[in-house]
Amino acid sequence: MSPTNPTNVADVEIAAEAETGADHVVNKRLGFGFWVSVGWIVFIIGIAALAPVLPLKDPDANFLVLEERENPITGRMQEAPVQPPYAPSGEHWFGADQDARDVMSRTIYGARVSLTVGFAAIAFGIVFGGPLGMIAGFVGGWFDRAISYLFLVLLSFPGLVLAILITALVDRSLFTISLTLGILSIAPVGRLARAQTLVFAEREFVMAARTLGAKPFRILTKELLPNVMIPMAALALLGMAVAIVAEGGLAFLGLSIEKGSTWGKLIRTYTASSGDLESSPWMAFTPIGCLFFTVVALNYAGDKLRDYFDVRELML
Amino acid sequence: MTDTPLLQVSDYRVGFRTPRGLARAVDGVSFTLHAGKTLGIVGESGSGKSVLNRGIMGLAKSAHQIESGSVLFNGAELVNQDRQALWGDEISMIFQDPMTSLNPVMKVGKQVTEPLRLHLNLSKSDATERVVELFTAVGIPSPRERLKQYPHELSGGMRQRVMIAIALAAEPELLIADEPTTALDVTVQKFILDLLMRLQADRGMAMTLITHDLGVAGGRTDEILVMYGGRVMEHAETDDLFSNMRHPYTEALLASIPRLDHAKHARLNPIPGSPPDIIEPPAGCRFAPRCRYAQDRCTTELPELDHDGNHGYSCFYPVGSDANAEALATNQQRGHTATGLQIRAKETV
Amino acid sequence: MVLLLVGVSMLTFAAMSLLGDPLFNILGPIAGDTENPQNIALQDEAKAQYHLDKPLPERYVRWAGDFITGDFGVQFSTDGQPPVLNLVKERLPRTLQLMVIAQILALAIAIPWGVFAASRANKASDKVSTFVAFGLVSLPNFALAVILFYIFAIKLDWLPDTYEATDPFWGFTHGHRLIQLILPAFTLALPIAAVFQRLLRTDLITTLQEDFILMARSKGVSKRRVLFGHALRPSMFSVLTLFGINAATLIGGSLVVEIYFRIPGIGTAIVEAVLREDFPVVLALVMVITLAFVLLNFLVDLLYTVLDPRVRS
Repeated sequence: MSPTNPTNVADVEIAAEAETGADHVVNKRLGFGFWVSVGWIVFIIGIAALAPVLPLKDPDANFLVLEERENPITGRMQEAPVQPPYAPSGEHWFGADQDARDVMSRTIYGARVSLTVGFAAIAFGIVFGGPLGMIAGFVGGWFDRAISYLFLVLLSFPGLVLAILITALVDRSLFTISLTLGILSIAPVGRLARAQTLVFAEREFVMAARTLGAKPFRILTKELLPNVMIPMAALALLGMAVAIVAEGGLAFLGLSIEKGSTWGKLIRTYTASSGDLESSPWMAFTPIGCLFFTVVALNYAGDKLRDYFDVRELML
Repeated sequence: MTDTPLLQVSDYRVGFRTPRGLARAVDGVSFTLHAGKTLGIVGESGSGKSVLNRGIMGLAKSAHQIESGSVLFNGAELVNQDRQALWGDEISMIFQDPMTSLNPVMKVGKQVTEPLRLHLNLSKSDATERVVELFTAVGIPSPRERLKQYPHELSGGMRQRVMIAIALAAEPELLIADEPTTALDVTVQKFILDLLMRLQADRGMAMTLITHDLGVAGGRTDEILVMYGGRVMEHAETDDLFSNMRHPYTEALLASIPRLDHAKHARLNPIPGSPPDIIEPPAGCRFAPRCRYAQDRCTTELPELDHDGNHGYSCFYPVGSDANAEALATNQQRGHTATGLQIRAKETV
Repeated sequence: MVLLLVGVSMLTFAAMSLLGDPLFNILGPIAGDTENPQNIALQDEAKAQYHLDKPLPERYVRWAGDFITGDFGVQFSTDGQPPVLNLVKERLPRTLQLMVIAQILALAIAIPWGVFAASRANKASDKVSTFVAFGLVSLPNFALAVILFYIFAIKLDWLPDTYEATDPFWGFTHGHRLIQLILPAFTLALPIAAVFQRLLRTDLITTLQEDFILMARSKGVSKRRVLFGHALRPSMFSVLTLFGINAATLIGGSLVVEIYFRIPGIGTAIVEAVLREDFPVVLALVMVITLAFVLLNFLVDLLYTVLDPRVRS
């Protein structure tokens, strides 16, 4: 509704309806929640990256607490370790686990792996899926059909099963896991890139460039790429969340990275016995909380970014 | 029959709160409708005629809608009351577009039996029998087979008949027909309108017929209310309105309709300009910016509804009066109206 | 869709043939011996017996033929070579029970929730529901499993904390699998319900602006009846589409849930087989899952015609 046009009743009714149905109103602000989410992401990446230089406890050290106890055999009082896990205290903010290791510091070190996998996976997806999708959308024809079909197969296949397959057949290193999840993220990224390319390839500025005799490569990189990049940023956030969750799932199944700890692995070890979960829930809920907030933040920021740029074709 | 009119509307207003301010969609409308009578409500799209009727019915009220004034139905006040109890069995409505007004995934039989079972507490088989009668009454051939069909399997005309059957099912006292034929083929329009008239007469039901086409209202209504910009421009008995037209808008509306008795390539006379902004309406007469008689007074002063016997009109320079002829002469002389609308010097009415 | 089956099977078959050496499964350590002529002869014999000396495409065709006729191959285990089909027969019902209960739960939660949210669009209660749905979608299923387990099985102790494959199914005590499946099914159902609910809400809001809703209201049908009787069905199409697409998520989710709640179903079987490097089993199970996925999507297409009479003609 432009302010110069007279408003007639029909318009007003539509406007009134639009206000009641929120989905029709495009909120053109990123909002407070977006910045909170970005803040959390920056925070968690920051402490994960700086973990070695921060004054954190050694994640692998055992902090056994000793107490004076009567030795049942000798009957004398002597120093003996208290049975871990320990509840949260001033010493261990989020408690200590079954091996008396600091839960907070283990969670932060776990973030290093989880975040790396998430980032690497979606970066791989963008580097390979992006150009593939763009070229398919730009070139069209049989190449487009073949690529689209490949994406469809990849998308409809239960990703976790494929990931299990690959990790089982190859090995369980950080590289393999990232690569597997990266391959899995090619299809959604590629589909988005293709859809965006199709949309923009019809636009006037691309037509203009074509008629001016610009080479296809130039059109792809100079005209189309910037327009595909924006929704890709939103997808990258959502995709990173999915990859982090997927790695968590693999780890939870006992099929993730063998060396080092990840959030999924921590959750797995801390929930392995329901007795531990009952007596010391803080162990499991620290990495669960971190994982949850990170995924929420990534999803929320991605959603907002998508609404902000008004991108429709975004499904993972 | 008592003297209480079925519907008495006085100074009724409906507004929508919008980000720009209050949109006065219906701005002080009054009329009376007796049982068994038909009122035509005529105006362009955006004149507020649909909002008026939906307002009276109290349907689809959004949180942004406010109403004031008085609407008495059988003597009971409706304004700002929940009217759901009246829907279906006392007031019902026929919608403009039979393509979108029937539930696409529900058999038409079920859609018609629903009000019957709801209001008349009929059993399923009794209700079905009634629907067959209704379908026969509205002229749907082989009604029993139709019952099991879905709306998309019926033609537009058939669907509108189904809609009429639904509206009539619970025998309402007042039927609001909101542009019942606009979305139909011209050939079907007349059948539907005549059908409506006949059913209305048979059942002694009151009806408001909303249309943008004066020709549709003429001959099928007892009274006509001409609306523009949410206000009543002219209100008279149908015969009187056509024989003794007073408002320039009514005149312009009639001139804009193609007529059979005109020469084949006769020019249509569309009304210049577009409906007024109802959020910031022009001071003075709503129609002034598009009226070829407009004088300075029309731009500053809001004309109230004047009554000449039973004939009401809101104009300072009513058609057929000396003042009107003078106003036209003035405007023709200066080549434009008081609102700046260009007028060709030689123009016949 | 058949093409999808072929594509997936080729991919899986090729991956496993190239990356793993089935000889190890057949012969054990002997397969690694390249010097002892006796062992090499054994290897050649096994290769011939299992057609491993043939080129990959031929092996694929042979395997596909067997698969279609119901011969899923054999599993490698310490007690002989029981057919994979037996394993599938034993495990599949448990997984199906879990999934069916989960889907029913998901719909049972999502429909009233979506209708509620749509009828109160943009009011405070709708905002809260959006918030909750967002949280559920963002919560990984293994984390949800832990949380639900902690609350309902440990803290409140309302629900059993173990699954016993030998317990009877029907019944309403902790000793019945129906009750034992509640927590796992909820874990699967809640995030799906949240997604369905979002979609249903959006579609319902659109449907509620249709003329036929006004029409129904004008007939005197109550708001509640209009919501459930008139608006719900034409708003279900997106949910239905997602129902098919979501099958992959559901399968992935049930893997995790089966492992966490120790339900010996297909998911557990596949993880066990992977850890055992028992490739015929993995291959067969992947195919069963893909087949289920294809069937589900076919079912969804059928459901469309039930829900939307316009598709029929």
